[in-house]
Amino acid sequence: MATFRWPVGWDPFAGLRHVQRELERLTGRWPFSESSGLDGGGFPPVNVLNGPDEILVQCEMPGLRRDDIDLSITGETLVIKGRKQSAADETTVTYQRRERPFGDFTRTIVLPDSVDAARIEAKLADGILTVRLAKSQAAKPRQIPVK
Amino acid sequence: MAEKNEKVAVHASPRPRRQAGEDAFAPIVDIYQLEDGTTVLEAEVPGATADKVDVRVDKGVLTIYADGRLSDPPKDYACTYQGFCGVEYFRVFALSDEVDRDRIEATISNGVLSLRLPRAAAARTRKIEIKPG
Repeated sequence: MATFRWPVGWDPFAGLRHVQRELERLTGRWPFSESSGLDGGGFPPVNVLNGPDEILVQCEMPGLRRDDIDLSITGETLVIKGRKQSAADETTVTYQRRERPFGDFTRTIVLPDSVDAARIEAKLADGILTVRLAKSQAAKPRQIPVK
Repeated sequence: MAEKNEKVAVHASPRPRRQAGEDAFAPIVDIYQLEDGTTVLEAEVPGATADKVDVRVDKGVLTIYADGRLSDPPKDYACTYQGFCGVEYFRVFALSDEVDRDRIEATISNGVLSLRLPRAAAARTRKIEIKPG
């Protein structure tokens, strides 16, 4: 069976790498993109629920402790960032299977309504971060009487 | 507040106490070996607590089940964005003969289920002495 050898200096994947670089530029690395880091900005996965008096944000972050998470709010934008540690130091253990991602992450969430920054509660339990943001007076629904 | 690190019972029986639902997901895992030959398996099962986890060993098969389903939010909450939903986790592994099946330990903390699989004594590396001949 003949063995095929690539000519020296020819990179068959150059075109593919160019496409990948373009995609990275558009989705991850630019200043105006919304997030960066782990999972291309997809970590942690979030749910945003809009209730009458509060906005509820849930984040799935297994293995993270309170000290690993930095939660802050600016206006109507909630920023969750931190570092997900790797399971064990790879110099002292031998990995047989490594599926869990690790590294720095940042996620920016624009909230659907304005909130009262003084009344925000965040709780971390069993790998799920639950943030309750009380809505500001202006954002709460108000009945308008029709004369 | 102290971090919870709860022990999970490891059952040895052929039939799972809880069947995984059809929409159970396989949790992502890290498997690594310590210097003493102990194998550590860590599975991400966010939302699950010790009472919602079932770890089972039957001969050479290790079965992990965890219920990470979240309670429903109040009905009048509109969903602006949904990136995940709490799910059931289910994954099965084949154990090598080197694992001491009676001494498997399981704990759960921060949504990560951690299993310690000690190496069986018979499987440990033994140095063979060379006698002068």
